[in-house]
Amino acid sequence: MVRWKSRYLLCEVNVVDRSRLLLLDDRAVAGAVKAAVARIHGDYGAALCSIRFCVKYLNAHTGIVLLRFPKSCYRILWSALPFITSVESRGQKIPCFLNCLHVGGTIRTCQKFLVRYNTQQLHRMLPKCKNEEEKQQICKAILNCTLTGKDKEESEDESENEEDEEE
Amino acid sequence: MSVDLDQTPRSLLVCDQSSFLDEKNRVSSQVEQLHFNYKVSVLLPECSSTPSHLDSVLNSFSSFYLIRKLPIYELLDKHFLETSVYQGSVYGLSYRTRIDEDNCVALTPDGRLFLSLDKDSFQVLGVEGKPSRFNHRTNSRFVVSIDLTDSSMAPGGRSYQRLLTGLRSRLHLKTDFLLSHHPGGGASLQPLLSRYDWSEHRPEVSSHTLTHLSSPDLQSCDPHSFLEWLGAVDANISCENLSSSFLSSLVCPEPKTTLSRSLRVTICGMLLPQDVHRLIQEIRCYLEQPRLESWVSMTVHGFVDSPISWGVHEHGVLRGGENFYSLLLFHDHTYRLHLATGAHDTCPP
Amino acid sequence: MRRDDKKEESAVFQRVVLKNASPYHYMKVCLVLGDESTRLSAVELKHFIITGLKSLHGEVGAALPFDLLKYDEDTLTALLRVHSRGLVKLWSSLTLLGSYQSQACAFRVLQVSPFLLALTGNSRELQLDEGSASSSSG
Repeated sequence: MVRWKSRYLLCEVNVVDRSRLLLLDDRAVAGAVKAAVARIHGDYGAALCSIRFCVKYLNAHTGIVLLRFPKSCYRILWSALPFITSVESRGQKIPCFLNCLHVGGTIRTCQKFLVRYNTQQLHRMLPKCKNEEEKQQICKAILNCTLTGKDKEESEDESENEEDEEE
Repeated sequence: MSVDLDQTPRSLLVCDQSSFLDEKNRVSSQVEQLHFNYKVSVLLPECSSTPSHLDSVLNSFSSFYLIRKLPIYELLDKHFLETSVYQGSVYGLSYRTRIDEDNCVALTPDGRLFLSLDKDSFQVLGVEGKPSRFNHRTNSRFVVSIDLTDSSMAPGGRSYQRLLTGLRSRLHLKTDFLLSHHPGGGASLQPLLSRYDWSEHRPEVSSHTLTHLSSPDLQSCDPHSFLEWLGAVDANISCENLSSSFLSSLVCPEPKTTLSRSLRVTICGMLLPQDVHRLIQEIRCYLEQPRLESWVSMTVHGFVDSPISWGVHEHGVLRGGENFYSLLLFHDHTYRLHLATGAHDTCPP
Repeated sequence: MRRDDKKEESAVFQRVVLKNASPYHYMKVCLVLGDESTRLSAVELKHFIITGLKSLHGEVGAALPFDLLKYDEDTLTALLRVHSRGLVKLWSSLTLLGSYQSQACAFRVLQVSPFLLALTGNSRELQLDEGSASSSSG
């Protein structure tokens, strides 16, 4: 069997005030993307955006969002993403922009990339700790993290292991 | 689901560069290959009125006949075959039929009959043919090619009878038809003409004087810009635009010169390749005299709805059906020939 | 997309085949309006086409450069030039333009060609009417 091929865009939502990230939900992000595509690529773009486009995953804490586009037209839809300047959610307008981190063919590759990316970010941030004690605290906090849901746990484990080796 | 909006149907442009003095030059054979010519336009730089020699050649282009509602089986008439088709060259083309929707007919000077038929007509006719090369997925158009000079097509023969009954009693194909004969004109066509409503037409000559025309440097100009410029001259489009203009930013390619007075002569109708060839010879004579500008350009457009072009290759219309060539002649007998075709066409000879 | 065949048989004879190399496409279009007395200037027509592009292809479409080479106000016939890459966008938006100032309208695309010259010699325009016949018989 042949399957419908898709492209998954792993994006991070950048906001000024991180606390407002929690206001985001799937529908708000999808609406913002659709509006931007309709403005930039008109009716044609809006029609493309109505086929198999969806927000697959949204992490309101970290601002990571995973968008699915059909493979045949993801470039044209992708080109509209930089024009998103705000997302309207629960009656509030959140000024933000989307930063595309990775384009993958499956959710799995996107997840792998995200784990690697987060590890990198952590390594960049750890040296900024004021003292050794603070560093230890952060590592401890990460180790104590748990998530319900099997798949997620695995990935968390992976990142934790890598952390340990580094230590 | 294809979403590539950048693609366009294919097009071909062949650029030949040679000299009339070179033995290998093929201009005359290339001119002969395009059987059905609709329009010739000649651009004479720095010239205020048509030179008399050129004028006489233009006015001596063969006239052609329009027969209204001609049943196609009349082309198989024994008398017509003997007096016209076997003898010399008859050019025939169905008129006001569109090759993308109607049945089209062409008769070439070497005695071949081409029918481009839709599927229904083809099956009703019941004669051997080939599916059109430009069919997309389903065979909706068929091409029948018959050599009337072949011995099997001699009047009375079996395949002749089959075609005749097919055209006479089954298909009833009737179209307006353009007919021309070389040499000699209409005398041998008279018996056929007299049976139907017909009229004789002369190719229409018209000329325009163009003042202060900017012209590109022909030696350095690339073929596409040159053809664009020539098209702009032919279509009376101004090339004097600013790059900031809202409406149009078409400009004459740099470096450019200004021609104070130029003449554009066009001739329209069903034109024979022989006449076009005579015109080329006359232009060469014209160029031999010393002049301010030492070039002449001539463009010949083929019929858009002809079933064949460039010899006997199949032709279709798709978007424009263009098949034309543009000949740029210089006084030192060198020439440049641009042959252009659209999507439904083969490579020019 | 581009292929240049060069064969030089001698110093003089040269043949170059350019395939799909034409930078522009040219369209001859005619605007048919529901109310035939309406007149459009060239600027209005171009603006109207741009609004069509904007509604079908958005701001990217509205930014598509094309030229209005020639326009006849009496017949509402225009010659357009567009980069080959933008042909499909322009053509599709012309097709979908359905109303001008709340009256029905349609664009008839008469001829499209990669060569401007081809638009000057369209044999479908050949008119051989009885008036121009020099002799006639039944």
